Amino acid sequence: MLNARITDFFSIDLGTIIPTLLNTIILFLILKHFLFGRVNKVLEDRKNAVAKTYGDADAALENAQKLETEYSQKLEKAKEESAEILKNAAKKAQQRSDEIIDEAKSEASAIMAKAGSEIEREKKRALNQVKDEITDIAYNMASKVVGREVSEADSDRLIEEFIDNVGK
Amino acid sequence: MFCAANVAAEASSEIVHGPKVVFEIPLFGGISITETTVIGWVLIAVIFFLCLWLTHDLKKVPEKKRQVIAEMAVEFVNNMVKTSMGEKFMGYAPYIAALIVFSASGSLVGLLGLRSMTADINVTATWALMTFALITYNKFRANGALGYLKSFTKPIFLLAPINILSEVATPASMAFRHFGNIAGGMVITTLLYMALGALSNLLHLEFVLGPFTLDVAAVGIPAVLSVYFDLFSACIQAYIFSTLTMVYVSSAAE
Repeated sequence: MLNARITDFFSIDLGTIIPTLLNTIILFLILKHFLFGRVNKVLEDRKNAVAKTYGDADAALENAQKLETEYSQKLEKAKEESAEILKNAAKKAQQRSDEIIDEAKSEASAIMAKAGSEIEREKKRALNQVKDEITDIAYNMASKVVGREVSEADSDRLIEEFIDNVGK
Repeated sequence: MFCAANVAAEASSEIVHGPKVVFEIPLFGGISITETTVIGWVLIAVIFFLCLWLTHDLKKVPEKKRQVIAEMAVEFVNNMVKTSMGEKFMGYAPYIAALIVFSASGSLVGLLGLRSMTADINVTATWALMTFALITYNKFRANGALGYLKSFTKPIFLLAPINILSEVATPASMAFRHFGNIAGGMVITTLLYMALGALSNLLHLEFVLGPFTLDVAAVGIPAVLSVYFDLFSACIQAYIFSTLTMVYVSSAAE
């Protein structure tokens, strides 16, 4: 090494050019395979993973929004249905109550009519009774006044006539 | 004045030289393997193990700092290639990264006291020729052989010599720019060390301990220049070289 030959400062030397060319190509291949190849792969993987995550998130969001609109529609429909049911029930109840009231009314009027006719009959019966009693009294009084027994048949007829005339 | 300049030139020709020959392969009449090549091999080995370590056990969700570093480095180059060349040239990203890493580390080994790889014209010329090959390949692919030849006669055929000259000037300027910056820095640094050594000698601040010589004046001062000539220049030249490669190659494909 002490006697090593020293080249000129400025000399073209194929013995350096060719190894340098090979060295550079080797370094290029090393960097390509052991640095860029590996790191680019990881970067690509990461990019894909991130893109996939974002895609999944977007899909989930879309799905959730779809479900939300679906559910809100269903809810709306259910509300409408319940309102309908309530309305129908109220209508039915109204109808039923009207029916009941009508029934009650007709029943009441029937009772009233029945009561009226009963009162009429009762009145008639009472009147007849009064009539009979008055007849009796009149008969007694008359027999006392006349002092004789009037035939019952005659008297009855007479008295009837009298009372009828009085009643007029 | 002349005398001083002569002394400096003589000294520099003695001190500033090409890379040492480390060994010779006894093939084709002896191939000299120089420092440059050996440093290149060491750098490749280091970068290879660094890559293996950085990309070991990569996870979709990064757990280790080194994965973040690896991703940052890859994304940095990917973004550079994407903005300078466009999406369809993403395959060039590892090549551009190789240029940046090899160029920057090849220049920065100067900080370790080794001879900068890029202070050898053969290295920068090789890279420039590779760029030239890529430019020509892309021009052929985009225009066909006939279209490529025709492009030299535009706008008028009289300009063909100038067009050919500019085609050759592209790799030549790239090679010399990179080489010149790093080698120039090396020359200036060497001259500065010599000057500071002479100053130490003059001020009796030179201490010789067996094979080692300590020049007191040479402590600290060169570090200031080294920030520019070694650190800044190394990084900026790597960046310039790779950027020019991207620009030339992508414009060649149009």
